[in-house]
Parts: sequence; structure tokens; C-alpha cells
Amino acid sequence: MIETRIERLLLQLIAPVVAIVFAALLAAAILHFTGADAGSVLGEVVAFGTTPASLVAVLNKATTFYLAGIAGAIGFRMLLFNIGIDGQYRLAVFFAAVVGASVSLPPVLHVTLIVVVAMAVGAGWAALAGYIKVTRGVSEVISTIMLNAVATGIIAYLLAPGRLAERVAGSNNIRTPPIPSSGWFPGFGVAGKEVFGFTLVAVALGIAFWILLNRTRFGFELRASGLSLRAAAVSGVNSKRMIFVTMVMSGGMAGLVGIPQLLGSSHQYGLDFPAGFGFTGLAIAILGRNHPLGVAFGALLWAWLERSSQILDLLGVSREIVTIMQATIVLSVVVAYEVVRRVNVRRQQKLVGRSEHEGIDNGAAA
Amino acid sequence: MPAPAIELRGITKRYPGVVANRDVNLRVESGTAHAVIGENGAGKSTLMNILYGMVVPDEGEILVEGATIPMSSPADAIAAGIGMVHQHFKLADNLTVLENVILGDEPTGRVGRIDFEAARARIVELGDHYRIPIEPEALVADLSVGNRQRVEIIKVLYRGARVLILDEPTSVLVPQEVDELLKNLRRLTGDGLTVIFISHKLDEVLAVADEITVMRNARTVAHTRPAEITSRELAQLMVGSELPTPEPRTVEVRPEVGLRLRSVSTRGRGHETSLSDIDLTVRSGEIVGIAGVEGNGQAELIETILGLTDPVSGQVLFGEEDVTEAATSVRRRLGLAYIPQDRHREALLLDAALWENRILGHQMHPPINRGVWIDRKAAREDTERIVADSDVRTPSIEVLASALSGGNQQKLIVGREMAGDPRVLIAAHPTRGVDVGAQAAIWTRLSAVRRAGVAVLLVSADLEELIGISDRILVILRGRLVGEFDPAAIGPEDLGAAMTGADAA
Repeated sequence: MIETRIERLLLQLIAPVVAIVFAALLAAAILHFTGADAGSVLGEVVAFGTTPASLVAVLNKATTFYLAGIAGAIGFRMLLFNIGIDGQYRLAVFFAAVVGASVSLPPVLHVTLIVVVAMAVGAGWAALAGYIKVTRGVSEVISTIMLNAVATGIIAYLLAPGRLAERVAGSNNIRTPPIPSSGWFPGFGVAGKEVFGFTLVAVALGIAFWILLNRTRFGFELRASGLSLRAAAVSGVNSKRMIFVTMVMSGGMAGLVGIPQLLGSSHQYGLDFPAGFGFTGLAIAILGRNHPLGVAFGALLWAWLERSSQILDLLGVSREIVTIMQATIVLSVVVAYEVVRRVNVRRQQKLVGRSEHEGIDNGAAA
Repeated sequence: MPAPAIELRGITKRYPGVVANRDVNLRVESGTAHAVIGENGAGKSTLMNILYGMVVPDEGEILVEGATIPMSSPADAIAAGIGMVHQHFKLADNLTVLENVILGDEPTGRVGRIDFEAARARIVELGDHYRIPIEPEALVADLSVGNRQRVEIIKVLYRGARVLILDEPTSVLVPQEVDELLKNLRRLTGDGLTVIFISHKLDEVLAVADEITVMRNARTVAHTRPAEITSRELAQLMVGSELPTPEPRTVEVRPEVGLRLRSVSTRGRGHETSLSDIDLTVRSGEIVGIAGVEGNGQAELIETILGLTDPVSGQVLFGEEDVTEAATSVRRRLGLAYIPQDRHREALLLDAALWENRILGHQMHPPINRGVWIDRKAAREDTERIVADSDVRTPSIEVLASALSGGNQQKLIVGREMAGDPRVLIAAHPTRGVDVGAQAAIWTRLSAVRRAGVAVLLVSADLEELIGISDRILVILRGRLVGEFDPAAIGPEDLGAAMTGADAA
């Protein structure tokens, strides 16, 4: 049944393609009605977005987005909405920066320690939400949103001169002390720019996620629970443990979201450390259908749109057009996936119906 | 001779890839009870839906009292005097009988005020006339299943129906309620109304129908009268071939115990029934039937054996092994198999391929489990084996489980649960909603499983099934086991009485 598999793959690809084309058309229409020349703007955007410097920036940004997307996908796979990725990664990268700056270790060990601290903090923060879900039935959506606010408060309290941070001379910024260079993750140069070394780790994590999901008993039980919690429980899956473990894994992955930037360029956590990647990650997970490859594609697309949009200001076009486009993509892809799913079920029922009928007719003839 | 109440001529309905009705002809005389029987998937439901205007046929005509009627919606059917009582009742639990009956057809007075008095009078009058007594002010939530069905019938009569379609009306009732319903149907036809009903239960069909139409493979294949045919001949007409003869029961119960519950009690939450002091032993090679009206603790009993509910006291043992504290996965590994009543909810991942469904419940067993890994090749190969052995009709093992018909899903589930030599099998209503052919296949399968030395716990509401294949029957009532019967020495009536507690002193 190779044919079916190829057909199914094509069916999977139709939805995002349709969504992107639709979003692009909508963006073009908006440009047109606001008086801009859609064709030339698009040309400029593509030209800027494909310069080597842009591509490196896209890759770096996509690494961050990818980790956030996978963190979201782990939860989604079992119908858990980890809205708390945002708080988990900010808290994780903050403590990782503090710990990284306070020790001196040989290079590999130093980086490993920072990564482990980040994962542990992210996992621990998510574990709180997982724990109250399995013991008290509190929806993880509510608890993680609240934990995001709590994380913000904790960081605001600790990120102060005299506590765990220091004021940057000649600026209003407050930062944790810098991590010594033994705790940096070396990048590699491309076209005079540096790609985060952590990009390779992200790729490896994506592959590991795929193997876990598709080849292991744990992954099967995770997917089964996501498809039908009751059927999974009857088959021998401990639902509560599964919910807790999934939440912890999602949080552990979320803990890594800020790491490429921390280890690759900023080397300290400050007020200017970017926030909000958690929500981007959820959107990318939806766009990529919670599949490691799909999420990679979504992360690259998202990063490219954000990077390319920087040229829009220079062209006198509002940069928010890209936000509209991103939102349109996510909304329309959800609809498109559902349409494709139904078409697929119908198509399969037809196939099955035919073979059942052949069976009956043969039986009648015999 | 007067024109028939209903006549269908050359009805054909095609769905993508399937013909549901092929040149179907049906003639229902006025004032008769007409049974339509056939296997699942024979096209009965489609035919009834066409008659009730919910499905529009591709070809053919529908005649009511000799005149062709264009039937494109249930409103057309109601206008033509046709009403339908669905298998799953369409009642609002939080409304009274009166409110349910008039819902959608409210008698309105001035300024749109609902005239409850007129409606109440009408309902009481209908109830008296057809001797279907019903209390208009009762809350539907408080009614028994049998009484709910009466409400549905009154609802149809209230709308002025002269022809009533009943879809498997007896499948939800206990024996005493069935008798009551059949009597009511007699009164309706005696009064000149026409009744068309679908049923699987051939004895009831023979008892109540004036005429019988048999459907097979989307066609109407026979038209007969109860006096002219036996139930065995009817079954053969439905299946289209000789029925497998039930093999003589060779009891070879082994001394060793497969499953034992020792004074197990549970605490029910919400609507659940608490089990109290359940003592139960199923030996290897034995089928023990659990008879009971639904909601008397069967679901809780199954949950406890599966390990999804923890008993507050007592022990659950597989053989000599105490599994009271063991997780479901451990019990599965020890050889627990389960054929649930609700396969969509408990036995299938509808949006996953067939071979992935083969893994479900076996993710901890070899050959599919290899340590932390899942052997996908082994899963695919064994799915191919089940598809071939159990005659699961599918173009491929890559299709989604939701694409299969119910009977084929059930075959896949039974094949999967039998893989890996189980020691204890729980079968909950294994033949509910499946046709005669599949029913016979499942019974044969259960007998084979018993011969192989599996301890089988059969939970069922089908008394014929319980008496036919169990070695012992235990009756469950309000969470207690209240009696043990020898199937060879008890009839359905006595068992029905025990189930409802009617014989309890």
C-alpha cells in the first residue's frame, strides 16, 4: 500500500500549502487596498529575506522557535495545552544564567551544567501544573497561565541589583553576571555570520522526539492517550502518570527555549531577554501538526517572516502585516487540516466499502 | 382490496462505493404489524430513514395509501402520517413527559401562549384510548426505559401518525417490558394503525408480526408470514446460507482457577453503583455469565477486574496471583483480555491505522514489545494475520479504524484480544448490535476460547446468549451477586425475574 502512503503524505501537505497561499493572498490584498504596490513590496521582502545574513538570522531564530514548538507538540500529542512554555523557559534561562555565571568549570562540563539546570527548572515548573492536574483535576490551561505570571514575579524579584543581578553601567538594563567563555556553546561561521551551535542540538532533539514517538512503547502510549484517553487506560496505560510525565517532558523541552541565545550570543539574562516565544511555539506546533518535521518547517517559516518583515518599515509599509499573515496562516491551517482529515476519512471509507462489497458479491457468487 | 398503507417500489440508494438499498420493494398493508429483518448492513436502517424522509433515495417511489408522496424531510413524513421511534430515544431528560411530547408541535393559544391544558387532555386521551398509561407531569429523567419508550410512542401518536416505524424497539428492554410493548403494538394494529418494526430477535418477530420482509445484501429477498416459517428458516434467509449448528457443549472445566474475586467491595462515585461483597470464581475453561439489568454494577465489576477502580476491600486474583494492587498494564501482561461493550470508546484508536490498533493493549507483550521499543514490523505482520484469519474486510492494514464497519471493527478487536494466549477474558455484551452471522461467529469463538482453557467472564443482557453459552450464570442486582443458576435448568422468564429482583422474598 505504498500508494496510500504517498497519497496520505500529499494530503498532509495540501493543508499548510493552502493556508500559506491563502494568507499570502490576503496580505497582498491588504497591501493593495492600503495603496502599496504588492508586487514590488513582495519582491523587496524576498530579496532581503534571502540575503546570507538574513538566512543565518532566520536559522538562529528558528532554532529557538523549534524548541518552543517541540515543547508545545509534546503536550499537544496527548491533548495537554502547555500554555506555560513561556514562563517555563524564562524561569529556566534565568536560573541557568545565574548558575552558569557562578561556577567555573571546564568548557563541556560547564555547558552541560547550564543545559541541565535549564531543563530541570523548566521541567520542575511544568511539574507543578502536572501535579495539581492529576491530584486535583485543575486544568493545565488555567494553572500554566497563572504559573506564567508567577514566573514573571519571581524573575522580577530576583533580577535586581543586590539580589542575583547587577545594573549595567551607563544603561537602564539590569542583568545577571556574564557567563565565562567556558560556558559558551561555540557556533560555526557561515557567510561571515555565526550560526548557533545549539541548532545542531535542536535537530538532534527533533530526531529523538520522532524516535520516541514512533518507535518506543512510551511514545505509543503517549499517542494512544492523545487519541483516546479511555482506550489507552483500558489498554494498560496509567493515565495520571502519563499526564504528569508528558507535562514534565514538555517543560523540560521548554526549559531549553532560551538556551541557544544564552549560550550562543547574550551569555547573560537581562531585562532585554526576549519573552513570548512560548506562544509562538504553540502556534508553530499547530502549524506543524505536532510532527518533528512539520514543526521544523513551521519554525523556519515563522523565523523567515519575522526577519523579512524588518525591511517593511523601510518601504513605508506597516510591519504588522506580517502578524496578520501569521495569524491567518494558523487560523486557516486549523480549518484546512480538519477538511483534509474529513476528506481522508471519506476516501478511506470508500476504499473499505468497495472491498467489503467485493467480499459480499464474491460470497454471493460462490 | 384497499391500497396498502405504505408501498415502496424499486428503491435504490447509493453511497460512495456502497449500494445501501438496491431495488427494494416493500408492501405494508394497513392495520398490520410488519417486521423488517436482516443482518447489520443489510440496508434496513437506510430503508427506514428513507421512509421517514431523512434520506432521499436515488431511484424508486414511495406510495402512502396508494398515492406517490415526495419525501424529502421528516416533516413530509409526519405530514403523510408517518412517525418514527428511534432506537436511541430522543427525549430531553430535564423536561416532563408533557413537555417532551409537545416539543416542536406545541398547541398555541392567543399571543403564542402554549396551551398546556389542551395538550394534557390530548395525551391522557391518547393514553386511555391505546391503553398506554402515562403520567404527563412525570420528569423523563425519573422514568424507566420502558416508560421512556411509551413516551416516544405517545409523541408519535400525538403528531397524528397512522404509521409507526420502530427501530429495534426491544433491544433496550427487559423481558417483562418486552411483553408489555408487544401487547401495546397489538392494540395499535387492532385499532387500525400500521406498525413497521426492525428487529434482530426472531422469536419476537414471529410472535408479533403479521408479515415479515427479509433484507439481505441491500435487497429485499423474501416476504413471508409467521405461520409459514420457523425462526431457523428465517435466520437462514437473513444470512443466505446454512447456519452453523451450535456445537454440543463439552464441559471440560479445569480445576485451576483463572479469575477469583474475594469479597470485593467498591465505593461508587456519582452515578456509579457500589459493589458489595462480590465473591466470584471463574475456572480455566469455563464461561461464567453475569446477568443483570444494565446499571446494576456490571460496569464497576469490569472496571475492578481491569484495575481501573480500586476496591475498598477484598481481593482480585488471577490464578494464584493477587493482583488487587496491580496496575492495568501488569494485569494485561498476566494475560487479561477484554472485549468491551463500547468499542469506539474503549477498544479502538479511531484516527489510527489498523496495525496501530493491533498494538493497543499489547504494547507490553512480545512480539510487539521489545523492551522500550515497539516492533512495528511484528505489529504489521500480526495485523495481516488477524485480517486474514478473522475475515476483516479492508483494502489494507493502513486504513484508519474509523473507516471500517462495526462488524469488521469487532472482528479486529476479537482477533487482537485473542492474540498472545490470554488467561482471563472479559466479554461485555460481545454481540450487541451485531448481526446473526457475526453473532454465531463470536459465540463459536468464545467456545473455542473456553476449550483453550481461558477463564471467560461474559457480561450480557441477552438472556438467550447467557443461557446458550454459559456454564454458570450469576445474577447481579444493585451491586450484589444475588443468585447462581444452571443455564440448563432455567428459562429466560425466571432469569428475567431474578434480574429485576421480582423473585426476591
